[in-house]
Amino acid sequence: MHLRKYLLMLSISILAGILLIFSVFPTEKAAAAKKDDKVFLVGMEANYPPFNWTQQNKKHGAVPIQGSNLYANGYDVQIAKKIAKKLGKRVVVVKTEWDGLLPALTSKKIDAIIAGMTPTPEREKTIDFTKPYYNSKQIIVVNKNSKYAKAKTLSDFKGAKLTAQLSTVQYSLIKQIKGVIKEPAMKDFASMRVALESKTIDGYVAELPEGLSMAVADPNATYVELSGKKGFKLNSTESQEAIGLRKNDPNETKINQILSGISLKTRTKLMHDAVLNQPQATTQGNWFINIWKQYGNMLLRGIGMTLLLSIVGTVVGFIIGLLIGIVRTIPKAKKRPRRYLINFVNWLLSVYIEIFRGTPMIVQAAVFYYGAAQAFNINLDRTTSALIIVSINTGAYLAEIIRGGIISIDQGQFEAASALGMTHFQQMEKIVLPQAVRNSIPAVTNEFIVNIKDTSVLSIISVSELFFTGSTIAGQNFQFFHTYLTISLIYLVLTFTITRIFRMIEKHLDGPKNYDLMTNEFQVDTPKIGSEKEE
Amino acid sequence: MKKDYILKINHLKKSFGQHEVLKDIDLDIENGEVLTIIGSSGSGKSTLLRCLNLLEEPTSGQIIYQQQNILDPNFDRIQYRAKVGMVFQQFNLFNNLNVLDNCIVAQTTVLKKDRDSAKKAALKQLERVGMAPYVKAKPAQLSGGQKQRVAIARSLAMSPDLILFDEPTSALDPEMVDGILDIMKDLAHTGLTMILVTHEMGFARDVSDHVVFMDNGVIAEKGTAEKIFGEPENPRTQEFLKRYLNRI
Ligand SMILES: Nc1ncnc2c1ncn2[C@@H]1O[C@H](COP(=O)(O)OP(=O)(O)O)[C@@H](O)[C@H]1O
Ligand SMILES: [Mg+2]
Repeated sequence: MHLRKYLLMLSISILAGILLIFSVFPTEKAAAAKKDDKVFLVGMEANYPPFNWTQQNKKHGAVPIQGSNLYANGYDVQIAKKIAKKLGKRVVVVKTEWDGLLPALTSKKIDAIIAGMTPTPEREKTIDFTKPYYNSKQIIVVNKNSKYAKAKTLSDFKGAKLTAQLSTVQYSLIKQIKGVIKEPAMKDFASMRVALESKTIDGYVAELPEGLSMAVADPNATYVELSGKKGFKLNSTESQEAIGLRKNDPNETKINQILSGISLKTRTKLMHDAVLNQPQATTQGNWFINIWKQYGNMLLRGIGMTLLLSIVGTVVGFIIGLLIGIVRTIPKAKKRPRRYLINFVNWLLSVYIEIFRGTPMIVQAAVFYYGAAQAFNINLDRTTSALIIVSINTGAYLAEIIRGGIISIDQGQFEAASALGMTHFQQMEKIVLPQAVRNSIPAVTNEFIVNIKDTSVLSIISVSELFFTGSTIAGQNFQFFHTYLTISLIYLVLTFTITRIFRMIEKHLDGPKNYDLMTNEFQVDTPKIGSEKEE
Repeated sequence: MKKDYILKINHLKKSFGQHEVLKDIDLDIENGEVLTIIGSSGSGKSTLLRCLNLLEEPTSGQIIYQQQNILDPNFDRIQYRAKVGMVFQQFNLFNNLNVLDNCIVAQTTVLKKDRDSAKKAALKQLERVGMAPYVKAKPAQLSGGQKQRVAIARSLAMSPDLILFDEPTSALDPEMVDGILDIMKDLAHTGLTMILVTHEMGFARDVSDHVVFMDNGVIAEKGTAEKIFGEPENPRTQEFLKRYLNRI
């Protein structure tokens, strides 16, 4: 009886929480709902200044980022605007992780990639590239006071620990340096900057604008430019940036014409402005207060999204788990067709569980979000996709936990209930599930906490949960340690609070440790029989 | 006068795989009688009891209740089980429910009684077994003897026609046994039909109308309590009782 009441209370408060969170995201649904012809959807990381970055206002001609009230700006954005203008459209940026850009384009989530991307033969297998819109140079970003800051030739980097962004031309260039220690590639520039600052690497290969940016933003960083014979050997296209389009995009010729119309002088000017306009770190005052002052809203929204994902994921996952747990413990039916049906359903369910427990959530998210769009033309907005993925992933874990909870219930409980005439479902509802659910609370708490942290992998489909927000902030203020420290603190507070709440729920469910003896309340006129020797 | 039987068991057989545990059992239980089943461990007493309320599915044979074979596929097993109570050696109270709800839950779900009248019936039976003060306690907070009292009250609250007791005192500390036996003795005097498996021979002799001695899956001997305990015919019965009486 108690359990029901608490479950009801819990679900009501969770629903209220979800409503609250949804009211914080008024733009999210509206933006994702319609896709109109007048919009030029451009994919970029919005975290790679001076090519592209995120800012909180429209200053310097920034454009809105889809599904948020943030803005994107930078060299790429300015180029995108020039193209969109000639196409009679307006630019909306779809903030996408580097690895998500190609699938986003092929699955029609975006119309173009303008993200400082170099046309490589591999990429040209899946998408088309326009003529270059920027000609760059390859440089190596290093710490100002390190010995590599004075390097003159590539061979001076012998023994240096170098890296570059994952799946970029820059990363493949590292092997041209003899005796270099090639570190694993990193996911984004924020990570490389942190690594450089903390000296876990000696430098990273990047393009000139990144060097310019870093020299402006970080007083400890500088870059080494090696030209001609002393530098990297590469094809002319390898230090060019071009716009990625879907194969056979009818606008390709038109866009190439537009690009030809942008002179070298204009390009240099745009890059110059971008370097100047890119976000700068505030160094005065307390860093913690600064981060909250400057990015408080973003952080709150990140927290909201993380909570939304983990709460919905855990609650829906729990319901899925409960249903599957029940179905998987239905006793063997006597009638043949029914038994075959149950066996078949059980088989399907175990396939589901194996698949979702056996593959990483990051892969599931990418396959689901980009794959579904590409293969079946289903276009879900990313928050919905994220919610679905977290839920079915959690469901797969909890199904086994609840099944274990059910089968670990003493057979005597079933027998006593059967002997009283209760049906299988009555036994489940009144006796078995309350015990199984109660026993599974620690595991559910655990799953909840895992969800709070692991939803960070959903940044692959550009869901701006807390971690994604953190990377965005770090990309803007260049205060990597402080930003990630703040983010960690928030995660810690969230997980700690949730652990406490679930402890309280457990305590409530268990009832008081001691019971009160009822002496006079229930007097029934029946002669008392049997002695009470045992007391 | 024709006797009034509550259950008639005909040619009942039960096998677990190759192992035939009940071999052709014939047994009639009169309305209002106390029937005690004795026999050594593994002779099939529990299996017989469990077949009677269908916790085990008999392999063949008939169990007639109110002119119907309960093994008939169309027989309403739910209503039957509601009328046939069972008290287990291991109590099997519902761990998630307190004492009161343990005695209420089947009344509301199976008998579809409203909660108030179910509560009234539950309290009446809890009072009878001396557990009314403990309504709020959870099973884990009770002693073995207290649990068994609640389990008896839980069965009684369903107003059963028949209660099956499978060694109700075997899992209890010796000092708790008498309390339970006293309750059962008083129940026997109310005219409730009881089928009882026990090793408490003194008690069995006092309360039983009939005693059945089971040996290796068959009923080796059946008779009145005086006859079985006084002058058993079957040498196996004699041997079994001698062993027991020596031990006491
Ligand atoms: N579920 C079962 N599966 C296989 N054998 C069983 C099962 N239950 C009981 N038996 C066997 O049936 C025989 C009779 O058991 P039981 O009825 O519990 O005896 P008693 O209650 O007289 O001690 C024993 O040999 C026991 O091992
Ligand atoms: Mg037994």
